This record gives sequence, C-alpha cells and structure tokens, in this order.
Amino acid sequence: MSDTQTLVTDDAEEPAASTRPEIPIVPPRRWIKENLFSSKSNGVQTVLFSALMLSIVRWLLSLIFAEASDWTSVTTNMRLLFAYNYPAAQFIRVWFCLGVIIVAAMLTMGAWNAKPEFSLRKMAISTTAGGGFLAVIWFMCTVGFGFAPLQKVDGMSSGLRLGTFLLAALLIALGLGVLNFVHEPHKIWIKFTTMLFALTGSVLGFLWLVPFGRYEFADGEVINESGTVATSTKVPWTYMMLLLVGAYFVGRWLRQFIPEANYRMVMIVWWIVGPSFLIFHVLRDPAFDMGYVFRVDVPMALAFGLGGGALLYALAKPGRGEIARAIGAVLLLFAAYNWLTAGLGSGHLFGWESMLQKARITFLMLSFAVLMAPTFSGEPAARRRFAYGWIGFIAISHWLITGINTPSTLDIAAPPFLGGFVLTLAIAYYVFLASFPLGILMALARTSKLPLFRVMATVYIEFIRGIPLITVLFFFSIMINLFLPNGMSIAELGSVFVGYTLFSGAYMAENIRGGLQAIRKGQYEASDALGLTTVQRTLLIVLPQALRVTIPNLVGQAIGTFKETSLIAIVGGFDLLRIGNSTIPAQSVFQGQKRPALLFVCFVYWVFSYSMSRASRRLETKLGVGD
Amino acid sequence: MCTGSAIALRFFDSPTSKPGGIDRVTDTAQSSLAHSAGQKPPFWRNVTFLKWAVQIVVLALVVGAFWFLAKEARQNLVDKNLEPSFNFIEGPANFQPGEGIDTQPDTAGRALWVGMVNTLRLAGLGIVASTIMGVMVGLARLSNNWVANKAAGIFIETLRNIPVLVQIILWFAIISQLGKLTPESGKLGGSFFVTKKGISVPRIFLADGFYQWAALMVVFFAGLLFTRRKLQAKQDREGGDQKVGTKLFVLTIVAAVVAAIINPIMSFLGPVFDEFSDIWGDIPRSLMQTALSLIAIVGAVEFIRRFLNSRRTPAGLAKLDDDDWFRMIFAGLLALLAVGFFWKAWPGLSSWIIHSGSDFFGVAGDKFGDGRGARPFDAMLPTVTDGNIANYAKTGLTMTVGFTALFLGLVFYTASFIAEIVRGGILAVPKGQSEAAAAMGLNRSQALRKVILPQAFRVVMPPLGNQYLNITKNTSLAIAVGLSDVVQVGQSVYNKNNQTLAVFAIWIAFFLTLSLTISFVVNTINRKLAIVER
Repeated sequence: MSDTQTLVTDDAEEPAASTRPEIPIVPPRRWIKENLFSSKSNGVQTVLFSALMLSIVRWLLSLIFAEASDWTSVTTNMRLLFAYNYPAAQFIRVWFCLGVIIVAAMLTMGAWNAKPEFSLRKMAISTTAGGGFLAVIWFMCTVGFGFAPLQKVDGMSSGLRLGTFLLAALLIALGLGVLNFVHEPHKIWIKFTTMLFALTGSVLGFLWLVPFGRYEFADGEVINESGTVATSTKVPWTYMMLLLVGAYFVGRWLRQFIPEANYRMVMIVWWIVGPSFLIFHVLRDPAFDMGYVFRVDVPMALAFGLGGGALLYALAKPGRGEIARAIGAVLLLFAAYNWLTAGLGSGHLFGWESMLQKARITFLMLSFAVLMAPTFSGEPAARRRFAYGWIGFIAISHWLITGINTPSTLDIAAPPFLGGFVLTLAIAYYVFLASFPLGILMALARTSKLPLFRVMATVYIEFIRGIPLITVLFFFSIMINLFLPNGMSIAELGSVFVGYTLFSGAYMAENIRGGLQAIRKGQYEASDALGLTTVQRTLLIVLPQALRVTIPNLVGQAIGTFKETSLIAIVGGFDLLRIGNSTIPAQSVFQGQKRPALLFVCFVYWVFSYSMSRASRRLETKLGVGD
Repeated sequence: MCTGSAIALRFFDSPTSKPGGIDRVTDTAQSSLAHSAGQKPPFWRNVTFLKWAVQIVVLALVVGAFWFLAKEARQNLVDKNLEPSFNFIEGPANFQPGEGIDTQPDTAGRALWVGMVNTLRLAGLGIVASTIMGVMVGLARLSNNWVANKAAGIFIETLRNIPVLVQIILWFAIISQLGKLTPESGKLGGSFFVTKKGISVPRIFLADGFYQWAALMVVFFAGLLFTRRKLQAKQDREGGDQKVGTKLFVLTIVAAVVAAIINPIMSFLGPVFDEFSDIWGDIPRSLMQTALSLIAIVGAVEFIRRFLNSRRTPAGLAKLDDDDWFRMIFAGLLALLAVGFFWKAWPGLSSWIIHSGSDFFGVAGDKFGDGRGARPFDAMLPTVTDGNIANYAKTGLTMTVGFTALFLGLVFYTASFIAEIVRGGILAVPKGQSEAAAAMGLNRSQALRKVILPQAFRVVMPPLGNQYLNITKNTSLAIAVGLSDVVQVGQSVYNKNNQTLAVFAIWIAFFLTLSLTISFVVNTINRKLAIVER
C-alpha cells in the first residue's frame, strides 16, 4: 500500500495538481503483451517464475496449515510474546505507553506537516492484487491443482476458508469496481484523513464483528471459544484507534498556535527523552519515598540547576573564555577525582566518597558544560537560552535517575520487567540513541588532524568491525563483572547494552565519516575565515551538513540494530525470538511447538523493518539526498 | 538548507553575526599580534603545545583506564584461582564437536582448530553460494518480464527484513520436522538423502595421488598460460574468431586427464621436501629472531625513507610538521616494539615458526612419498549406519541439520543484499555503454558479459566485500543451532576449564585475521579494477 503514497509535502499547504506525476494508462491487454509475452524468452520467464512463485506460496501454506502446527500456541500467548512476564493486572501500563507513542507519532506528523496522499488508481490495483493473492490461497487450500507439486493444501479450517473467500471476493470486486466505474481514477487522490478514517473503521469492524474466536492462556488453561476476539484485546485497541485519529487532528490544530521550529524542537526532545519515562516511570512504576524526594532529591536538583545555570550564564559572557576553561578544568579534575575515589574505594579526603552517584554524574556534566560555555557565548538572550538548557537538562536527568534508582513496585514472577517485543524495541532504541554520540565522536576523531586521536579511533573502529557481535555480547555478559572493582556490578541487560552500544558505535562512526567526507573544503575555509573556533565550526557548520547527508545510512543502521537485537536471545535476554523459540515450546500444553511462533516472530520483525525501510526511502526522496 | 540546521543555528546561536563571536576573534587577534611583534605566545596559547597536551592527556586517561580494568580483572581472577594462561591448548578436549575434520580431538587446541575449519568451510561455501544466488536474483530484478521482476523484488524485500538469526532458527525448526532417516529413505538409488538428520550426498574426496597431480597441474598451467598468450597474439594479428576460450578449455581438460594418468612421476618431490624439512628444522632460534627483527627494522626504515621522499620537493625537503614527525617516530617505535616482542616477550613465536615450518615440509614429504596410489580423486556414496538410532555413516558428504540451517539462513539473507548491490551496480553503468555494444553488433548476452558486467563489477566490489565480511562474521551464529564452529567450541572449552579470557583472545585473533585477510583481498582487487586516471 505504501507503494502508492506520494512524497510527504512540506511547505506548500495544498500541493498543486500539476506537480503530481502523470501516470500513463496502458490497457490491460497491451500491458500483458508488453510485460509478460513480448518475446519467446519473455514468455518462458513468465511461465517459469509463475510456477516458482506458486510452488513457494504452496510450500509456505503447507508449513502454516500443517497438522503439526498448533496456532493456538501463538494466539493464546500474545501477551507473553509482546510483554513477557508483565503482570496482567497492571497491563494497562503497557497500553498507556502504546497510547502515548501513538499520540506522539501523530503530533510529530503535525509538526512536520506530513499528510501523505494516495492515488486512487494505484490503490485500486493493489486492492485487486491483494484480493487475487487471497483467491490463490483459497484455491490452493480448497481445490488445488491435479499434479504433485501443486496439490491441495490440507488443514485450513472451513470457517477460515469461507472468510478468505469472502474477503478475496470483496477486495476484487472493490478494486475492479473502482477501476471500471469511477471516472478517471488516476486523477483522484485520496486525502490522508480519509485513509485514517477508513483504517480506523475497518480495524474496529474486524475487531467487533468478525468471529476470530476468543483465545486466552491463563493459569495453564487454554481458553479457545468462538465469538469475536477477547474483550481485553478489542477494548484497548478501540481506544488506540480513537487516539490515533484524535491525535492527528490535535497535531494539525496545534500548528496554528505553536511556532513550527519550537513545535519540532519539542517533538525531537520528546523522542530523545520520552521513551525513558515510559520505560522507567510508567512500566517500571518506581515506589517514590516522597519524604526523601523532597528532603534530598528536589533540593539537590534545584541547587545544581539554578547554581549551575547562574554559573554558566556568567561564564558565557564574551571575553570570559579563558576563565571558563580554567574553571571547567578545575571542575573536571574534581569530578574525575570523585569518580576515582568511588572506584578505588579509598578516598577519604573531604569525605566525598559518600557522595551520591547522582551528584558525581552531575558534577561531571557540569564540568563539560562549563568547558563548552565559551562556544555558546553571546548576547544576554543567547546566554539565557544556554542556562535554561542546562536547567532543563538537570530537571529531566534528575527525574530519570531518581526514578531508575528507586525500587519498583511491580509484582513480577521473574525479575526482568522488560521482555518480549517491548525488550526488543527498548534495546534497539537505547543502543541507537547511545551509539549516536559515540559514533560522532569516533568519526570526528578518525578524521581529525590530531594523530594520536586518529590512531586510537582507527584501532577502535577496525577492531570492532573485525569481530562478530556475538563475541562482543558474550564478552560483556560474562566478563564485565570481572573487570569492575569489588562491590560494583552491572545487571545482565545493562552489560549487554554496553557491549552492543560499543559495537554499534563503530559502525555508526563509519557511516558518519562518510558524511564528513562529503563536506567540501570550502566550508572549512569559510568558517575559519569567519573566526569560528574548532568546536563552533564542528557544531554549527560541519555536523549539520554531514548528518543530513548521512540520514539514509543512519536509517539503514537503525533497521540493522533493530534486527540484530535478536542476538540477545543467545546471551540470555527474553526477547521476542527467545520466547518464540524456547519459552512457548517449553509450555506443557504446547510441547515442542516451534514453527508457528517462529513464523509469527518473522512476521513481526518483517512488518517493522519493512515499514522503516519504506519510510527511509520516502525521506530520502524528500531530502533529495542519495541521488 | 534543511530545517535541521536552521534549528541548530537558532539553538546554538551562531556567534558570527552577533557580538558573541568577539571573544574568540580577540583571542586570535591577540595571538597573531603577539606573533607579528616577534614575541613568542605563552605556552598555554601555543597551538602545537595545546594539541599535544590534550592528546597525551587523553591517551594517558585511556591507557590508565585499561590498566586499571586489567589490574582489577587480574586480581579478581587470581582471587578465584583462575590465572589466565594458554596452557589449556595442550590439555585434554573433554568434549566432541558434532562435525568437522576430527570429531574426537585429543586436545582443546585441536578441538578449536576443528571449529575454525568448520567456520572457514561455512564462510567459503556461503560466500560462493550467496554470490551466485545474489547475482541471479539481481539480474531477475532488472528483467523486463513483470513476473520475474516482481518475484525478485518480493524475494529481496522479504528476506532482508527478517533478522538472519530468526531465519536460521526457522530453517532449523523446519528441517527438524522432515522425514525420519532410514536406509530406505534415500533417493536416486540411495545417492541422495534429505531427512530430519540433515542432507547427505555422494562425496568426492582427495585421494593419495592428488598432490602429485596438483604439482603436475602447476607445471601444465605454466604451459597453458604460454599457449594463451600465443593464441591471443594470433587473434590480435589475424582477427576473426580464433575460439581462444574453447581451445584453452579443451587443453585444460586434456592436461588434467593426462596428469591424472602420469602423476606418479612427481613422487621424486618427496625426498626433496624431507630434505627441506631437515634444513628448516635445524635453523637456530636466534637466527629466526634476528631475521624477524631485521624484517621489522628494514620495514620501518623503508617506510621512513619513502615518507621523506614523498615530502621532497624540487626546492629540497619540505618543512616537516609535528604530524609528520609523529608518523616517523611512530613507525620507528612500532619496529622497536616488534623487536622487543620477538626477543623478550614471546621468543616462543620464533620456535613455533621453526617447528611448524619443519612440520609443514615433513608432511609435504609424506604426501609426495613413494608408493602412493595413482588416483587423484575418489568418490563414495552415502550410507546409513545400522543400530537402534539410524545415523549417516562417514561415507557421504553430510550436511548436519545445524549446518544446513545455518547455510540456508546465511545464504538467503546475504543473497538478498547482494542482489540489491548487483542491481545498483548494473544500473550505474551508463545507458550509452549498452547502446554502443548493440551498435557494435553484440547480442544481449555478449553485451552483458563483455561490456556491462565488467564495468558494474567495479561499482559492486566494495559493498560486495562488506557482505563477504558480514557472512564470515555471521557464521558465529552457529551457536544458536549447535553447530561446532569456533565460537561454539570455544564456549564448550571455557565452560570446562574457565579460561574465558584466553578463549576470547583466540576468537578475536581468529576473526580479526579472517576479516583483515578478506578486506585485503577485496582492496587489492579494487585497486586492480580502478580506472587509471591521469
């Protein structure tokens, strides 16, 4: 279906009709002659590849409907596959997270004024083709061909056969009807809002009307009744679909009030910070001790935020560059000393060894900010923005760290509160997020004029790129606690995350280096001529241009990261693959049922990576890079 | 400009248009003033000093962090009575790899070697198969037949969007549910088995006469090269179609058959290799150490000499900056480090080279010795062992379930990427080339073989090399299907003796060597293919 989407329009409110591509209309008979039987070899190819495709489809159908495949192992275990052991009583938290993500996605579409449109003709063709595919499936499962490789596939239930037949007939009728009876369908474009309503309507119709059957797996008992899907599925999904539509209109409506740049900035910050709140505050549900929070955490955040903000405001004044660097260096030494004493466990000077970990982290961050202050120097308004940025950073980071450090109230049978597809998404998200700055740093070091940095970055990148991910993950999951001082340890998932980030960072660095090399020498010379410092030149001139060129590759890497999270199944994480491959087959009711769950896992991974790659291709066209 | 940079500009506030930029400008102005007045800037404003100070501080921090971590690890290991060492290599294996050149290895080192051979086998087969499949799918993707085009598109978009590990495990689950293995389950007269125990086909193997045959073939090959040059010259001189390729093909076949018949005449090489083995084994260790050190030092000196030459201009030697000095000093230090390594840190390396060199020639002497059979190749049909649990005997070429699953998963996944690369490469050849080929009277397949593909190959090679690296590294997923590759064997070894660090070192060394070799080969081909420009 995404085949038929036009480019996401950016600036123009209503794209002029003349800019839309003219689609040549070929009559079906001529189309068949030109594309299928233009020459003898072409005809042979048509027959050969059709036979190949049909036998592959038949083979897949025989896998799906084989007698040995018990699909109730998947339908009753949906909760396990998506959220693992998350307590059923608190499942509303998972739905809440999904709702927030849907709302944020729709608001983001509003911020970027994205409203893709769809060609009616192409949609009608896709609908007909989809109906035809279903008809082939129905034919193979009901009648079949006479000769051996294309015999009838057994095992499809009569209800499902009827449903497939009806759906196929409906789709074909709809598609052909539009193509034959609508006047000039290639000139009609369907608006995104129409599509949204159609999608919502059909999803709700399927949920509330079609008798898929009720499946549940509770207390070792498989519930398998007829009727529409379980209430615990259809009610939340109804809310989700309503949220989807509502949030889209809210997102467009907000455009009128919020300046576009601010709107986009807020959405970017949300995508960087928001998922952490969902995971550590909503899903994990920390039990805050309010007394302690107001006695220690809030004052500490206030002191760091306001004090640090004032310090940064003062130091960012033009002409104070060297004072700022000196103070920054002192702060950095102090922070390093603090970390060292924490690590060695022998620091008794000033009694700082009992300092809270949060304060240590903040001191380190403050020293970096002070060192950056001369880069952001300017008139009072700019300095104020810099100070506000720091205060916002403190507010967010302290809230997060406090949440992470507070014990969870969840009542979970097995310890990891993240599992299933949620874990897959969380790891992919965090690894990508964390490897991004690492990659930028390493790419800059590798292209730097400073030889020692270049050597170190090159060794790191080539070393990591030369070894497989699984050895890195093994190393970190088994060995990391060996390397840490006594008394310090990292949770299993944490160590896997660290290893995966270091791995991904090397590949990220190579991608970003490609972008850096695309920048002309003139840009560097011009920024030197303007008197920019190296840091300013990098932040303001080089990186914005380099990252823009890199976007397609970065999306490619994001897809790769998402796919490779499946490797954490080998080192002990309960992700989608591990659950499909070992948890479900170990259930006594579904002894050894691997195939259905694995096929389902394939499907989930495929849907997500395929839509990401489609999105990246659209983005590429829109940005005009990659040509 | 895109909006991203607009935001960045507003957020960071470019100092260029505002008084904020004054700070840095004055700094620069001051230093340049000071410079022009002939005063030296104070050291904290000296760019060269700052540059090196920062680098050395960061290097010290990194080295310090590693030193600290290593110290902790050593302490922790010593506390647990697990001092890291490589002695386990000579120790007993205590476990049996599922398949490979030796399923009952005596030592852990031998077991690891079996794993390495399995990895190499899988990587090699995978590279060949995925290239063939990828090229075919890529060509189908470009076909003007609608069905072929769409079928290839579906192949690519489906397989590359499912994680390779999931595919491998799915293949494993599918193969595990195939039919049962019985002596009767073979097809085509029992020469072909596909069952839940894996696939078994007739095995062609190297027989005793192979080495003599190969040596003869080397001799014949020189002759063939000479003939080729002659034929090519004739072709160039007289024109027309001299059928060079066909003639050479026939000659090669004849040479192979002749060599297979007369190969025992090469057995005189046996005593020669034995003599070599003795001479090599008598080399004293200090001589080997001296030779290795000389190689390192001469290499460094040569590097510095060439570097200085490249800096030489007609006006004399260009002024060397600190970066240039760093490179030369770095090369020198590396050479000295290597010398120290050969003499002090690991003198065993030299002994190892002497021993294994001597062993190598000794084995070669055995292979060429008298009394070997005349047949270079031999073949056997697969059979099934008797007993309660039917299994494949060692007569056939057997792909176990793990091997088949891993092979299929890797090949399909990688082929989907290679297909896209091939398609991109062919599309990158300008249309004028195929039009020119048509104008010269070449037909479609000739144009493809002689004009399009050679040019596409140039574009395709670097990303193709990356895919080869990926397939090699992805063989390590064997652990998910219980195939005894180097990672799985290593894991079994450290589960037995707890020498985790040493096993990790072996893994890393093995994969780094493999990756660097592949990228070296690909880079060399690349350089050979590159268009020579002015």
